[in-house]
Amino acid sequence: MDGYLIGLVSLLVTGFFVLGVPIFLVIGLWVVGISVIIDFTLANLGVTLFEGLNFFGLLALPLFILTGDLISAAGIAKRLVDFAYAALGWIRGGLAMSALGACGLFAAISGSNSATTATIGGIMHPAMVENGYDGKFAAATVAAGGTVGIIIPPSIIFIVYGFIMQLPIGELFVAGIIPGFLMVVAMQLVCHFLSKKNNWGRVVKFSIKNVAKTAVLAWLGFLAIAIVIWGIYSGAFSPTEAAGVTTGFCLLAGVLITREIKLKALPDILMRSGQITGMLAPLIAISIVMQQVLSQLGAKQFITDMVTSLGGYYPVLFACMLIVLLAGTILESLPNTIILAPILAPIAASVGVDPIHFAVIFLVGDAIGFITPPYGLNLYVASGMTGIPYLKLLAYSMPYLISLLIVWVIVALMPQLSLFLLGGVGL
Amino acid sequence: MVKKIINFLDENIERYIILVSYSAMAWIIFSEVINRFVFSQQSAWSTTIPIYLFLWVTWMGSSYNTKHRSHLRFNELRERLSYGKQYACLVLDAVLWYVFGVIVIYYSIEQIMISYDNFAIVAGTDNVMQWWFYMATPVAWTLLLLRVTQNLIVDTKMFKAKEPLIITTTLLQD
Repeated sequence: MDGYLIGLVSLLVTGFFVLGVPIFLVIGLWVVGISVIIDFTLANLGVTLFEGLNFFGLLALPLFILTGDLISAAGIAKRLVDFAYAALGWIRGGLAMSALGACGLFAAISGSNSATTATIGGIMHPAMVENGYDGKFAAATVAAGGTVGIIIPPSIIFIVYGFIMQLPIGELFVAGIIPGFLMVVAMQLVCHFLSKKNNWGRVVKFSIKNVAKTAVLAWLGFLAIAIVIWGIYSGAFSPTEAAGVTTGFCLLAGVLITREIKLKALPDILMRSGQITGMLAPLIAISIVMQQVLSQLGAKQFITDMVTSLGGYYPVLFACMLIVLLAGTILESLPNTIILAPILAPIAASVGVDPIHFAVIFLVGDAIGFITPPYGLNLYVASGMTGIPYLKLLAYSMPYLISLLIVWVIVALMPQLSLFLLGGVGL
Repeated sequence: MVKKIINFLDENIERYIILVSYSAMAWIIFSEVINRFVFSQQSAWSTTIPIYLFLWVTWMGSSYNTKHRSHLRFNELRERLSYGKQYACLVLDAVLWYVFGVIVIYYSIEQIMISYDNFAIVAGTDNVMQWWFYMATPVAWTLLLLRVTQNLIVDTKMFKAKEPLIITTTLLQD
C-alpha cells in the first residue's frame, strides 16, 4: 500500500515539475508527502531547513557568488576576456575560443556556473555576433563554457560535495584543476573545427605586444586567481576564508584601482548575489531533507544492491556515471549532488575508486547536466540572455556536449588526472 | 504616514535585511582573516554568527525570489499552454506555496520554542540568543506567503482584464 502511495505522490510532483512549479517547491512537497506516508516526523523539516545549512564551509557559497558579481562589476572580467582574445584571436574561431578560455579564467575566481555563463555571455555574445558568428552557436558556446565554472576551483559544488561527504574541500579544489582545464581545451577544439567548417568569425593577426598589453591590464584578475589558488593550495586559508579574502580584494580593486565600482552601485551588486543565494541555498537545504527521507525509504540499499550486483571496478563506475548523467538531465546540480553523492560514493569506494577521484567524476558529470535537456540550467540562462529559443540552443550545444562526454570518460579512466596535483600538496 | 511606512516596507524589507546580513557576513569573515594574519587573534563568534546571517540571507532571498518570480523552474511547457491554463498554473503555484509554507512555519516555530525554552546561546558568545537567528525561517516564510498572495492578486487582476500573464521571468535580472 505504501509503495503505491509513494509512487502516486512521486508521479504527482513530477507533474508539478512539468507544469513549471518551482523546483524547490516540487522537492518540498515530495518530502512532505512521503514523510506523511511513511510516518517520518515533519519536525525534521523544521530542523533541517535551518541546521542543514549550519556549516562554516558552506559560507564560501554566498561569498564566491558575490566575488563573481564583483569581478564583473569591477571590469576585471572584461579585461580577462580581452586578454583571452589577444592570446587566441589569431586562430580560426579564436573569439569563441577565447570566450571559452575566459569562462575558465572567470571560473578560477568565481565559483558559480550560471554566473560564468551570464557574465562571460553578457560580454562575449554581442562581440561574437558582431564578429560574424552564428548567434545560436555563440549562445551555445557560452552555455557550454559555463560548465567549467563548477569544475575549475574555487567551486560551489565542490564545497557542497565536501560538506556532504566529509572530504577536504581544499583537496577537491586541487583535484578539479586538470579536468577543468581539459574541458576548456576540448570545447575549444570543437569550436575551432566548427568555425573553420562554417567560416565563422574573423581572424586577427597575432601580436605578442597586444598579448602582453592585455595581460598587464588583466593583472588584477591574475592576482585574484593567485590569491585563491595560493591560499587554498598552501593551506593558509580555508575555502571560506579564501572566498572572504577574494571578495574583499575584488571590492577594493573595483573601487580603488579600476574605479568601475561606484559605492552607490554596491547595494545592487549585493542584491544580485543575494538573489542567487536565495535561489541556491534553499535548494541545498530542501535537498538535504529529501536525502534523509530517501534513506528512510531504503533507496540507498536498493540502488546499492542494483549497482554492486554488476560487480567489478569498471561496470560499477560506469553504472554510477550513467545514474549521475540521467539524474542530471532533470535535476539541478545541487540537488543531484546532495541526493546522489551519499548513495553512489560508498558504492564506488567499495570497488576501490579513490574518493577524491570519484568526487571529480561525479561533479564533471553533474556539470555536464547543465547543458543536457530537458532541464539544462545554462541553456536557460543563455536563452534568457540572448532571446534565442531554448530548443534552438540545444541543437547547437550538441557538439560541445559530446566533447564534454569524451573528456568525462577520460577523466574517469585516468585517476592521475584528478590526483596528480594532490601528490605535491601538503593539505 | 502609516501607509507610507507600509509601502516602504513592502518595497524594501527583503532588500534591507539581505543587504545588512550579507555585508555583515562578508565583512566579519574578511576582517577576521586579516585579524588572524596581522594580529594573530580571532574571535570565537566569527565562525558562528556569519552562518546565522547567511541563513537570514537565504530565506529572505527566497522570499525576494518569490516576489520576483525568479525561483528556478522548468518553464518550457507552461509557456506553450493556453491563457486559461496558464492562469490555472499560477493559482496552482500559489496553493502549493501555501500548503508547504504553512507546514514550514509551523515546524520551524516548534524548533524556536525548544531553543527559547533551553536558553540556547550562539557558540562563542555570552548572551546572543540562538532563537533570534532561528526566527529567520518563520519570518521569511510568512513574508514569502505574503508575496505569493500579492502576486496572485496581480495575476487575477490581469486575468480578469485579459492582459498577458507573467509567465517568463529572467533568471538573472540586471
